[in-house]
Amino acid sequence: MRYPLAEVKRFEINGYAQGTTYKVTYYAADSIVTQQQTDSLLAAVDRSVSLYSPTSLITKFNHSAKGIIIDKTFMVLIKKAQEINRATGGLVDITVKPLVAAWGFGAKKVTEFPDSAKVREILKHVGPDKIWLSGNFLHKKDPQVQIDLNGIAQGYTADLLAELLEKHGIKNYVTEIGGELRIRGHKPDGEPFKIGIEAIDDNDINPSPLLKIIAPGDRAVTTSGNYRKHLQANGRQISHIIDPKTGYPTQKDIISVTVVAKDGITADGFDNGFVTMGLRQTLDFLSKNGNLAAYIIYKKANGAVADTATANFKTLEVK
Amino acid sequence: MERRTFVKSAGLLAGASFLNTTNVFAEDDAAGIIRIGVIGCGDRGKGIIQVLNQLPGKFKVIAVCDVLDFRLDETKKESKDANFTTYKDHRRLLDNKDVDAVVVAVPLNMHYAIAVDTLNANKHLYLEKTMTYDIPQALELVKLVKSKPKQVVQVGHQYRYSPLYYRVKEMINKGYLGDINQIDCRWDRNGNWRRPVPSPALERQINWRMYKQYSGGLMAELLSHQIDFINWAFDTHPQQIFATGGIDTFKDGRETFDNVQVMFRYEGQHSMVGNFGATCGNAHDGYLFKIKGTLGTISLLTDEGKFFPEKKLLSDKTLVDGVTGATRIVWNKEGGSPILPEKTKDGTWYAFNEFYKSVQNKTLPDSNVFTGARTAICVHSANAALYGKMPVTWKPEYDKL
Repeated sequence: MRYPLAEVKRFEINGYAQGTTYKVTYYAADSIVTQQQTDSLLAAVDRSVSLYSPTSLITKFNHSAKGIIIDKTFMVLIKKAQEINRATGGLVDITVKPLVAAWGFGAKKVTEFPDSAKVREILKHVGPDKIWLSGNFLHKKDPQVQIDLNGIAQGYTADLLAELLEKHGIKNYVTEIGGELRIRGHKPDGEPFKIGIEAIDDNDINPSPLLKIIAPGDRAVTTSGNYRKHLQANGRQISHIIDPKTGYPTQKDIISVTVVAKDGITADGFDNGFVTMGLRQTLDFLSKNGNLAAYIIYKKANGAVADTATANFKTLEVK
Repeated sequence: MERRTFVKSAGLLAGASFLNTTNVFAEDDAAGIIRIGVIGCGDRGKGIIQVLNQLPGKFKVIAVCDVLDFRLDETKKESKDANFTTYKDHRRLLDNKDVDAVVVAVPLNMHYAIAVDTLNANKHLYLEKTMTYDIPQALELVKLVKSKPKQVVQVGHQYRYSPLYYRVKEMINKGYLGDINQIDCRWDRNGNWRRPVPSPALERQINWRMYKQYSGGLMAELLSHQIDFINWAFDTHPQQIFATGGIDTFKDGRETFDNVQVMFRYEGQHSMVGNFGATCGNAHDGYLFKIKGTLGTISLLTDEGKFFPEKKLLSDKTLVDGVTGATRIVWNKEGGSPILPEKTKDGTWYAFNEFYKSVQNKTLPDSNVFTGARTAICVHSANAALYGKMPVTWKPEYDKL
C-alpha cells in the first residue's frame, strides 16, 4: 500500500566527503535520517579506508611490515576486490597502489614518470597473491606491498548510506557520492527515479547537457572515466587507470564506462577494470555476465568518439 | 659585431625584421638573453630582480639604479651571484650601451620622465603600474611610444598575465557567466601601509605612497590591477565614475586616503556596475575579486579562482534525481568548481616571460601603452572623483587611444 501523497515529503542531505560531494535524497513522512548520521557514517569509512587520512586503517596497513587487523568495512571491500580480481582475470587489482603513486596519481605529484626498470621493480610488489586474509588479519607478503581501495570504496559508500536509510525504514531513496549512486523505490507519485549520465566534455565550468537518462530501478550506477583525471607527458595524455599487469597507464579505447549492477560495490568494482580491458574484451565479458548493464563511450581507431550500450542497458533508457 | 650596434643598424635597414636579427644572435654566446637595467630598487624593484634571476636563459640583470645608497646595498645583498653595475643617476644607467631593456619601478610621479628618457635611449621598457602620474602624461607617452615602433613597452599590470586570468577572460567572452552586471573588488589590509624609515629625512622618499605629490594612493597602487583587468577582459572602460573616501584609520600626516570606494558605470555589451574599494583598517576580505552574471559568479584570488553557477541553474538538473560521472574534484564546501586545477605562479613570472617573447618577436604586449593609458585614465578619474568630491565623466577624446 502506498502512503497518501500529502504525508510523504522529500528530504535532501548535501555534504562533503572523500574529497568530493555527496547527496542523499529520500522520501519519508519525517526527516528520520539527519546529516549528523550521514557525516558520522562517512567519517567511519574514512577511518577505515581513506588513503588521505594518515591514521586510517588502510594507511596503517600500507606502512606496516606484515599486515594489521582490519574492520568490517575494510574486510567487505577486500573480499569483494579479490572476487572482482578473479572475475576480471587480474585487471582490477587493489595492490596497484605503488604504481599509481609512481605515475603521479597518488597523494604526491611526481617530477618524472618511471622508466621501464623502475616499473619492473615495482611490479614485484603488485599482484593478488601479495595480500591475504586470515580471520580479521590482513597479511602482506612484504613491506613494499600497498593497497588502494579508492576504485571501489565510493560505490560501497553509496551502499552504506543506503543501508543507513533502510535501517530507519526508508524504502524510497537515491544516495550519491562522487557520481556513484545507489537507488531504491520510486517517487510518491509512482514515478521511477531517473539518473543522468554526464557528458564527457571535461568542462566543469560549463557542462554540456546530460548524455542519457535512465531509470535503473533498485540498483546502483557508477561511472569510471579517463576524461577528468589525466596528466600530460610529452604532449600525450596519461590515464590515471594503471594496468596492474603491465605496470603502465591504460592505452585502451574506452573513455568512459557507466555500469549498472545490483549494488554500488559491484558496479564500482568492475568499472575501472572495463577501462583497462578495452571495448572488445568488455563487451565480451558483459555478454557472459547478464547481471551487469553498461553504457560505454570509446574512441574509434580513426579518433572519432562513439558510444555503445548493452541490450539490458537500453531497456533502462528513458531518453 | 657588438650587439647594441647591430640592433641599431638593423633598425636603419628598411624591412629588416627584428626577429631575424635575433636569430643571427642565436649563434652568439649571449644569444637571446635580454640584458636588463632596473631603475628603482624598492620592494617592487627588488622583487622583480628576484623573478628575473629565476629566468637565467632569458634575462640578465646587468645594471641597477636607485637614489638611496642603502637600497643599492640591499639589492646587492639579495642577489649574491649577480654581477651588476650600480648607478645613482638613471641617466648614467641609460648611457650603458649593453642594457637592452629597462625595468622602471620608481615612485609614480617619476614614471613618465624616466619612461621618456628610457625610450629616447632606444631601450625596451617594462614600466610598473600605474603607467603615469596623470592623464596628460598618459596621452603624451602614447604619442611617444607610437613614434618608436621598434621598442617594446609593457606596463606592469602583472596579474593579468597569469593563465588563470586569461582563462577568466575566455570564460567571460564565451558567455559562461551570462550577462555580467556586477563587479566587486577589494584590496584591504589592517595596517598603516608604511615602510620603515631609517632616517626621518627620508620619510617622503620612502613613504611616497602617503603623499599626493608622488602617489595616486590606493587606487593607483592596488585597485588599478582589477580596474585594468576589467578594461582588458571586456574591452571596455567606465563612462561615469563616482567615489567617496577619506583618511579614517591612520591620521598620521598622510595625504592619500586610507579608505576608498569607487563605483564605475560601464556601458556596452555588458552594462555593469563596478565596485572597487580598499581600506587600511580591516583585513577580513583581503584581496577580493568577483565577477557576477546571470549564469554564475567567478571569485578570484591572485593565484586561484572558482566558478559558482547560479543556484537556479543547478536546479534545472532536477529533471533527474542524480547524475553519474567520473569523480569531480571539488575544492571547497560551498560547491564552487576550480577554474584551473592548480594554483598559478606569481603574476610577475608570467609577465616577464611574455615581455621576453614580445621583445624577441617584436610584438605588442597584452599590457601595452594603450591599455596602460586607459587604466591610468580610470585611476586618475577615480582620484579626481575621490578628492574633488564629484562625479567624473569619461571624455570622448580618451577613446581615440
